[in-house]
Amino acid sequence: MAPDVAAGIERLDDRAIAVDPGAIEGEFTKIWRATSGAASDESSIRLRVLNFVAFAYEAAGANRFREVMRALPQRYPCRGILAVAAPGQRQLDASIAAGFWRSSGGARHICSEEVQLVGGAAQEPELASAVLALLVPELPVVAWLMDAPDFGGRMSREILETADRAFFDTAGQVDTAAVFGHVLRAGAGREVELCDFAWGRIATWRELVAQFFDGDEGLRQLSKIQSIEIDGGGARLSSESLLLAGWLVSRLGLSLAYLAPSGGRIEATLYDGTRGVTLKVARGADGGAAPVREVRIRTGTALLSVGIHPESGHMHVREQREGGLSRRTVASPRGDDASAIAAALDDRADPTIYAEALGSALALLAAPAPDA
Amino acid sequence: MTSPTRNPLRAGLHMPRTPDPCALVVFGATGDLTARKLVPALYNLARERLLPMGFSVVGFARRDWSDEQFRAAMKDGVSKFSREPLQDEIWESFARDLHYVSSDFADPAGYRRLGERLTKQDQAHGAGGNRLFYLATQPTAYAEIAQNLKEAELSRVADGSWTRLVVEKPFGRDLESARKLDRSLGAVFRERQIFRIDHYLGKETVQNIIVFRFGNGIFEPIWNRRYVDNVQVSVGETVGVEGRGGYYEESGALRDMVQNHLMQVLALVAMEPVASFTGDAVRDEKAKVFHAIMPIEDIAGSTVRAQYTAGAVLGEQVPGYRQEPGVAPDSRIETYVALKLTVENWRWAGVPFYLRVGKRLPKRATEVAITFKTPPLQLFRQMGSEGPTPNLLVLRIQPDEGISLRFGAKVPGTRSDVRPVNMDFRYGTSFGVEPPEAYERLLLDAMLGDSTLFTRWDGVEAAWELLTPVLDAWASGVSPLRFYEAGSWGPDEARTLMERDGREWHRM
Ligand SMILES: NC(=O)c1ccc[n+]([C@@H]2O[C@H](COP(=O)([O-])OP(=O)(O)OC[C@H]3O[C@@H](n4cnc5c(N)ncnc54)[C@H](OP(=O)(O)O)[C@@H]3O)[C@@H](O)[C@H]2O)c1
Repeated sequence: MAPDVAAGIERLDDRAIAVDPGAIEGEFTKIWRATSGAASDESSIRLRVLNFVAFAYEAAGANRFREVMRALPQRYPCRGILAVAAPGQRQLDASIAAGFWRSSGGARHICSEEVQLVGGAAQEPELASAVLALLVPELPVVAWLMDAPDFGGRMSREILETADRAFFDTAGQVDTAAVFGHVLRAGAGREVELCDFAWGRIATWRELVAQFFDGDEGLRQLSKIQSIEIDGGGARLSSESLLLAGWLVSRLGLSLAYLAPSGGRIEATLYDGTRGVTLKVARGADGGAAPVREVRIRTGTALLSVGIHPESGHMHVREQREGGLSRRTVASPRGDDASAIAAALDDRADPTIYAEALGSALALLAAPAPDA
Repeated sequence: MTSPTRNPLRAGLHMPRTPDPCALVVFGATGDLTARKLVPALYNLARERLLPMGFSVVGFARRDWSDEQFRAAMKDGVSKFSREPLQDEIWESFARDLHYVSSDFADPAGYRRLGERLTKQDQAHGAGGNRLFYLATQPTAYAEIAQNLKEAELSRVADGSWTRLVVEKPFGRDLESARKLDRSLGAVFRERQIFRIDHYLGKETVQNIIVFRFGNGIFEPIWNRRYVDNVQVSVGETVGVEGRGGYYEESGALRDMVQNHLMQVLALVAMEPVASFTGDAVRDEKAKVFHAIMPIEDIAGSTVRAQYTAGAVLGEQVPGYRQEPGVAPDSRIETYVALKLTVENWRWAGVPFYLRVGKRLPKRATEVAITFKTPPLQLFRQMGSEGPTPNLLVLRIQPDEGISLRFGAKVPGTRSDVRPVNMDFRYGTSFGVEPPEAYERLLLDAMLGDSTLFTRWDGVEAAWELLTPVLDAWASGVSPLRFYEAGSWGPDEARTLMERDGREWHRM
């Protein structure tokens, strides 16, 4: 029942500061003291539940980072560190800020410390070392790789070694198969939990599909699945629709029996040990922005269809069973970065399920699985 | 593929399952609780995808309403009281499954019509005969409704389905009436089918007491008579009876708050660790606490009851209780209670538990304050400094949910002066997100059949066993009714109760 997070945090102005962890910590201490409003004989707690480290190659990453810091600390008070390795930049600059809440009495309560580090493309090693020095000890590190997750650069490697969770987005990349391959390789043998925004975006779809198969009657339908059809939007097969297909294939224990030559769509026959199941993943004719627009699952005696309304974003579920037809409309969660991160942090995710879905999606793209 | 026994698609998802398809029948569907709490909570559950397909609501009350009128009234309730704003598309989808049956609770024909409605819905939705009956009406009607359900064969559980009954507070007005009610409900439903609501237990911050105690390793070892001097559970309200004078005249603070909410909070604070959060584990431990509370022998010395007179609260003049609408001008109902209890078990023997609750106090606050014993050596007094103040741990339940810890720290300087400092942690300002309404959690749990957050008969009975003698003694004039000015912290006698023990109330 996790509520969405909404932006509601005010921000203290950025202050430029030397890239000196000691000076930065000192400045934060002053900010805490000045805003705590505590009487002289009271101390307040610096509540920080995680380190949130974002890394970008574009200066524009700063805006997305700020947007997240305007909302995420509502649920996850944190130290946020943004490191940007921007092509045009020559020296390493730092600035700090803080976010706070106003309680009904007007008192300000700090909920985030922010550090922004901007360096040149050649300064990735320095950026990485500054980030490591600024992490609050003992707190989990949640990292966000804002650009294509190739995990090749110094900063990305450092993040994979240090972070407990790493967020990235496999959607919107030119070569989805290559990106899926990078992610599978990066996760293999590492402790870090990989969190793909594209995977988060299909959480509601997974939930609504799973609901259909709850209960005794639902479980009976599982063994009768005949066909799965997934329609996506966008210019090419979306990462989300591929992951959804990969998830169904892997969770249902289906193996790939026949894969038709593609051309912007997937048509496959899967085998469940006794029978064939057809799978079609296609891009909707009229494009549209939603990465997944509709999922239809047909069993011998029932039909499930889950779709999204292009304007309201609400989701429509239709179930046709022997008992009759049921329909309902539910809200879909907000799609902003902060809500997606908060939702993933709230969940006790099982990373193997994502990894298996990714592996099956790669197989559907007829791409060889990377060596572990 | 043979049918699996578990849904493989559920693995790794947020919810382990949604409830089975079911029908919720609300008795008293035109009333305040339904429009203010129940239907808004259901709407939010529906919007967050937590209700099953094939879920429907059937309202049952006297008013001659059609389905459409019922839907319109509920829409109005959701617009006014829902945590999330009403969105038409979602409302329309939810409202299709709202139905209404108009009947008096006493009329068997009404239950027949209800049965027909339910059967029809089962057929349309495949709801499988699962039913949740919710008694959202005056408690005097509970027994009659249960009996009529039985006679209409609506309480019968069909193969593979379930039937549950949710009961609102108050559960009885003393030991005898509670037992009578239990017997009436028990003649129709088994204990495991009965879900007694105490909406305090649905509050996130009350559940937080359990997390705080058992999710941290450092508190449990000192949570006992060796280290704790006393425990105070306080509920302060700034409001008066808010137009419910008639209801309050029949109950009073002891019945309305102490017997249920305060006793439940006390049990959560005092209980032993549980091995799991499923089924009856928490309720078993709470029951042990209730049974370890000693009967109050010195009622005159251990209880204080009082009523507010006119005064000023939050800067506004307010009338006295006796001037409130629906209240008798010579009413002897208490709006304030303070009492002292002892829990005679290995952990708490000798540690007093003080409970207090009052209306029209200066501040709205619910909190548990645990005062620890002072250190055994007055080390710093020998060095000419003031003695240490005892450590105090406060679990604030509302508003400004949080935890604060008072400890001693050295004042900077050459002397060894010890000064109490407060370390303050607030959920509200740290995790600035609205928690779901208590009723959302409780309704969902009832549909899932999880009774952990509902009260069990043995706990209810034990609380009445403890407090009915107090009510009886008060009725016979023991511990006379005192008065306190609205906007004050209660009568002087409450302070005396503490002073006699060499203690004082924690300042809220
Ligand atoms: N309201 C709250 O916020 C709140 C909070 C906590 C607990 N509670 C508890 O919840 C319960 C309901 O409270 P409420 O405030 O909703 O009460 P209410 O507003 O007085 O509503 C009573 C309901 O019962 C129906 N009713 C009464 N007698 C009936 C009869 N003989 N036949 C058929 N229907 C009958 C009424 O229908 P008609 O009006 O159509 O006759 C109405 O729908 C009580 O036990 C109360 O203590 C309420």
